[in-house]
Amino acid sequence: MRMLTCEEVLANLSNYFDGECSAELRAQLEDHISKCRRCRVVFDSTGKMLKILVDVEPFEVPLVVSARLYSRLQKVLSEE
Amino acid sequence: MTEASQGRKPEDAAEEDLRLIERVLGGDRQAFEALVRSHERRVFRVTLAVLGQVEDAEDAMQETFIKAYRHLKQFRRESRFTTWLTRIAVNEALQRRQSRKDYLPLDESSSAQQQKFPRRFEPWAADPENLYTKQELRELVEKAIRSLSGIYREALILCDVEGMSAKEAAEVLGVNVAALKSRLLRARLMMRDALSASLEQSRPLARRVVDTAAEVKNMMGMMVMRVARRQG
Ligand SMILES: [Zn+2]
Repeated sequence: MRMLTCEEVLANLSNYFDGECSAELRAQLEDHISKCRRCRVVFDSTGKMLKILVDVEPFEVPLVVSARLYSRLQKVLSEE
Repeated sequence: MTEASQGRKPEDAAEEDLRLIERVLGGDRQAFEALVRSHERRVFRVTLAVLGQVEDAEDAMQETFIKAYRHLKQFRRESRFTTWLTRIAVNEALQRRQSRKDYLPLDESSSAQQQKFPRRFEPWAADPENLYTKQELRELVEKAIRSLSGIYREALILCDVEGMSAKEAAEVLGVNVAALKSRLLRARLMMRDALSASLEQSRPLARRVVDTAAEVKNMMGMMVMRVARRQG
């Protein structure tokens, strides 16, 4: 199996996490990652970052913004 | 996805949406309010991602729901309501952005913000989510997202927070898939670097190791005193 370069590995970061790579490419990526510290750090932390993005549910609707939305909708809907 | 974290499976949430839509089309306005409740956060996040400012995002969110109500009959069940609504929200926000006087479309090739390579290579903590409360972590994430410029922010929110595929996100944003993918990769690299300072193993763990050493030293000191007292 040909060892991928770090650049090739990085170019496939998204494909890897989005499940858009073949079994062969996946194996090549994992092989490189197991041998290259830098790429391992980047992949490991990217995976963690992606999980955090979902878990923290960023950007709540401020209460006043939400209240104004419902009062506007009530007004508009009652006129329809 | 938001539904999942609220304890509902996306399929269940989609079915509930369909039930509510039936009721709205039958003239039940309360049902529309319920529909808005379960989607307001997503719509706000999407309009905020495109526009970058709460005031603009608020206007776009209001228009999105008004349009959704007026066009609900045109909703075709082959796509999920979530996707349909997100598309309206993105369109609404993009229109507003284009009409904004201060809006400068970002030239990706000359952007100073573009980042092709990661910059930090320190490993992250084994469980970075344990280092902070959920609220603290959310604030760190929001700050990092705000530091991205529009085209990166919107790609990241649509794909990595709302769970759209690159193809879906490219379609709603009106860009080609290759461009979207390249923005998404950069957005992810920038986010990773931005969060690294807070989530790397070395910083928070080093602090904890120092604390632990101090605690042990303290404990040993107490133990020596107690033994000395008992023997004295
Ligand atoms: Zn490498």
